[in-house]
Amino acid sequence: MSNLEIWLVITGLTLITILMRSSFLMLGDYFPLPERVQHGLRYAPVCALIALVTPELFLTQGAFNLSIANPKLVAGLAAAVITLTTRSMIAAMAIGMLIFTVLRA
Amino acid sequence: MKALFGSRLELARVRREGFTRGIRAVAPLLIGTGIWGLVTGVAMVKVGLSTAQAVGMTLLVFSGTVQLASLPLIAANAPLWVVMLTAVVVNLRFVIFSAGLHPFFRRFSIGRRWLLSYFMVDMSFAIFLSRFADAPRDERGTTEQVWFFLGMSAGSWTVWQTMSIVGIVLAAEVPAQWGLEFTAILALIAMTLPMISGKPALMGAVTSGVIAVVAAGLPLKLGLLVAVVAGIAAAMSAEIVLERHANAGGTS
Repeated sequence: MSNLEIWLVITGLTLITILMRSSFLMLGDYFPLPERVQHGLRYAPVCALIALVTPELFLTQGAFNLSIANPKLVAGLAAAVITLTTRSMIAAMAIGMLIFTVLRA
Repeated sequence: MKALFGSRLELARVRREGFTRGIRAVAPLLIGTGIWGLVTGVAMVKVGLSTAQAVGMTLLVFSGTVQLASLPLIAANAPLWVVMLTAVVVNLRFVIFSAGLHPFFRRFSIGRRWLLSYFMVDMSFAIFLSRFADAPRDERGTTEQVWFFLGMSAGSWTVWQTMSIVGIVLAAEVPAQWGLEFTAILALIAMTLPMISGKPALMGAVTSGVIAVVAAGLPLKLGLLVAVVAGIAAAMSAEIVLERHANAGGTS
């Protein structure tokens, strides 16, 4: 892409991102969401975050990889167990990264 | 309630406390944010953006997902409209986020809402709503809550931008095979699991997680959106079933 085209892309991405982030902050005044939908949105954070994580763990270059030789899966599960038992984020990240690095070596 | 906020000193104290709590809430995640920012900074330069373009992109767009999704397309010389369409799809979750935050920010002017939108990132939204979603209708959008949001935003913005710029500057020295970006995933795991409280939330999380894997092959990252919608639907269905069950049990 040319210099100008890249600046065009950056401008476009900036506009799209701010418009979509502000969408309901602006329109919500005119289109109030039904109580039921608003209530359902409380589950959005957990669902969105989990959906970012699972493909990273279970897929290797797009293919399902449920084996103990999958470093991301093993490290991710270890981090999950540590989180649930100790609630320490630092421990979960440190041990997860250690396992990930060792298994990849 | 209003009387409490009568004095300026009191207001300043509430703001400061909210802001500090926001920073504290987001702090453990900033390791992931920083590394993710670093990786994004490096990636922008590796794709061929000039230093000015890379810095401009990170300051203006301020969304790791959009930036990382657009880079392969820029590298492949994709048509402008394809890059834009991809950004729209990747950003669809922000529509959900802004609907969730509207009750809290509705009292602000349009200008302030633009500013708050700029700072809307996955982590801040997730922490904010998981903490305040149960606030009664008339206690949404308090000074404390808004400054909590600003505190989280200040923390994530500063760390993200600093590390992105470090990445842009150091791009040539960082080998891709370190796999540092995986720390961001580990941070997400450690953040999300404690947020799953109750059967409906668990149901939503499992559904969303499974669908995200199954639908990962969909073009334009649509799988993420499908997973989120399915997860919310599953959680709400579980809620309805549990309610019915409780009611039936109660009357018999």
